[in-house]
Amino acid sequence: MNEQISALLDGEMAIEDAAHIFTAVQSSKQAAEAWSQYHLIGDAMRGDAILSAQFKQKLMQKIEMEATVLAPNAALVSQVAEVKRRSKTPVVWSVAASFAAVMVVGWMVLHQQSQSGSELAPVEVALAVGTQDGAIDQGIPAEYLNAHHASAPSVSSYYIQNASYKE
Amino acid sequence: MKHFVMVRLFAIAALFASLSVQANTDGDLWQVLQKTAVAAHALSYQGIFYYQAGEKAQPVQITHLFNGSGEFSRNVVLDNSPREVFSLGRDLVIFNPKNEKIIIEKRHGQNMFPAILPTNLDAIKENYSLRAGEPERVAGRAAQMLFLEPKDSLRYSYQFWIDTEYGLLLKSVMFNSRNEALESIAFNQLALMDTLDLDWFQPKIDNKKSYVMEDEVATIADNGVSTGWTLKGLPAGFRKVDQMIRMVHGKTLPVTHLIFSDGLASVSLFIEPITKNIKPRVGHKLVGSTSFYASVTDGYQVTVVGEVPEVTVAQIANAVVFKK
Repeated sequence: MNEQISALLDGEMAIEDAAHIFTAVQSSKQAAEAWSQYHLIGDAMRGDAILSAQFKQKLMQKIEMEATVLAPNAALVSQVAEVKRRSKTPVVWSVAASFAAVMVVGWMVLHQQSQSGSELAPVEVALAVGTQDGAIDQGIPAEYLNAHHASAPSVSSYYIQNASYKE
Repeated sequence: MKHFVMVRLFAIAALFASLSVQANTDGDLWQVLQKTAVAAHALSYQGIFYYQAGEKAQPVQITHLFNGSGEFSRNVVLDNSPREVFSLGRDLVIFNPKNEKIIIEKRHGQNMFPAILPTNLDAIKENYSLRAGEPERVAGRAAQMLFLEPKDSLRYSYQFWIDTEYGLLLKSVMFNSRNEALESIAFNQLALMDTLDLDWFQPKIDNKKSYVMEDEVATIADNGVSTGWTLKGLPAGFRKVDQMIRMVHGKTLPVTHLIFSDGLASVSLFIEPITKNIKPRVGHKLVGSTSFYASVTDGYQVTVVGEVPEVTVAQIANAVVFKK
């Protein structure tokens, strides 16, 4: 199953041929986990442009309008293709070369699972990460240190856990 | 296709092998460092290295693969809550466990070991000189040692151990002017990989935890046409490499953020107007290799942070001149 999801995401399987995957994903916990894993990496690597709230909203509306979502219709596929065409992100990310497929599978799974009352928790997105205020790390204010490490190359910032994450 | 890529990989390996490291002249040494800068990107390897700063030591497991067109790497920081850092080219994603959640952080263009050298060494050549040391063994490999020493007191010095056969950086130690080691990174075990498999290139998902994207700090590119201030008398060799306007935690107004680099070390400069509800900060601090300097000029808070000596951050802070 995972191989099939991967093949779909990598564009090795036509989305039209993947209806059975959507069905299986709906019922299989393992497959749902595999999806969420690919989805997370894809999201994280691709940046915000193509994950805009507007896009999600549109896609959700579109999906809700469809009576049967198991077979993606031409309009939906072309809309996704259009978004994909407009995005400037590279398509080399190996585990999920086709973002469009990820989105289609992903939102269908979420949608269907929530409808069927299944227990796959939707992935939380964009939750604020609190940082400690005031002086830390024996004196260098965290807010500036974090901003520095976020934007300027520094070897150390990865290997020693930043104090702002300690609670 | 796979076969073709393999051949290319072996060709690259052979190239490094043929670079018999008996370099003596200055030019030859820079050539060795140049190969080292490229090797970290172009070779496929896996191993464990230790990062050490002060009392803290951290083992990190690294897997790095170059398949002829793309560069993939996974770093697992092996502490109590293992963090996974994935990179594809210059894009980075960190899976950072925090309590019951895994925070997913995005970063861009970071210099992670062993790829700590830029592939263009021009800026480093301007600011540092290179000297050969004695051969030693690191992680069971024969290594050549190089001293990279600053031409002034504005930066730290480095000692590099470079794999004699493949050119890969095996160990790097950073020293201050009193020759005290501030930071050390060294392979403990290392092996080249001859696979193109990417099955390792995925996070370990913990179903009991929820995954959340880090709240991304809004940054706006800044064209550098500042209105209220100019820079005069920056420390030698430091050039502005980036400028943006960003939100900083705890600040209500956006902060101008400039980044300077001398090729190896980076320094951040923050400029913000002082508002009524925020207490201005003045002072300096050195923690490990990171220097911090804060001053107040003409109603602005100027803050500088970087992995450089204190004199350098002070000089950058003082380079900000506000127009009357």
